[in-house]
Amino acid sequence: MKSRQFRRVILVSRILILILVAGWGISMAAGQVAAGDTHQQVTLNQWAIRHIQQRHWPDSPAAGAGKFAPGITEESLRDMIYEAVANGRSRENTHGRSGEIYEYDFGRPIGTTINGGPASRLRVVINTRRQVVTAFPF
Amino acid sequence: MLMDFRLSEDWDEDFADLASVEETDLRYYVAPGDVMLRSGQTDLSANWGWIPLIDFALALVEIADALSAAEGSETFEFTESEAILQFDRVGEEVTITSSYAPGEIRAPLPEFRNQVDEFARRLDKALSQKHPELELNPEYQRLKLFRSR
Repeated sequence: MKSRQFRRVILVSRILILILVAGWGISMAAGQVAAGDTHQQVTLNQWAIRHIQQRHWPDSPAAGAGKFAPGITEESLRDMIYEAVANGRSRENTHGRSGEIYEYDFGRPIGTTINGGPASRLRVVINTRRQVVTAFPF
Repeated sequence: MLMDFRLSEDWDEDFADLASVEETDLRYYVAPGDVMLRSGQTDLSANWGWIPLIDFALALVEIADALSAAEGSETFEFTESEAILQFDRVGEEVTITSSYAPGEIRAPLPEFRNQVDEFARRLDKALSQKHPELELNPEYQRLKLFRSR
């Protein structure tokens, strides 16, 4: 009798574990979709990457423009832009420029300002087709 | 007060067809250069080589329109940095300050208005001569860089 009850407990435990694992898997999948959706919010094309590299890469000679910290890569740039757009504050672009501006404070240095001081914020400019126009630390 | 520009020589002019580029391209990528802005001992010039001059002219025309209509403050944000130019009208005088250089420039409103319009007119003329294909661009025509064109 006790043996039958023990088997029943084991069976119920296995079912509960299966339900928990399945639920965790579903929630993880849902999280990935949400992240994917966030990434879908903006596109970053090669021209924009080239523009950002010319103005804002650590070795860029462009004066008067914020610079990313050494070690930045195309992939980490994408990640930072996606994070800024997903979590940053947005506002309309100014003085007749179409599109939006997103600004996000990473809470850690991501580059330098035009004065050479540490910059923790990223400004991302998006056009009306949700394409990245430029992005730079400030 | 002097307000002038210098087109950058090392601009990658082959990146796109100027007859068909869109508004955002015109305002962020096309015709970069320097902006000279000074009066007496005060120099608020932005000699960075990358300032999109079409965008600068359009924004300043809008700022001049707003300040001509009423007293107030207008802020110009540079496209690739946190730097700003601040324009404040009190009475019939406009004061210009910046976030990147000390000092202020004061000018009578009509002189400021005239300098802005002249900046746009000269830029439009220079671009039309150097890049006649812009005349075929409907977005460039719609933006009306120089309003009496």
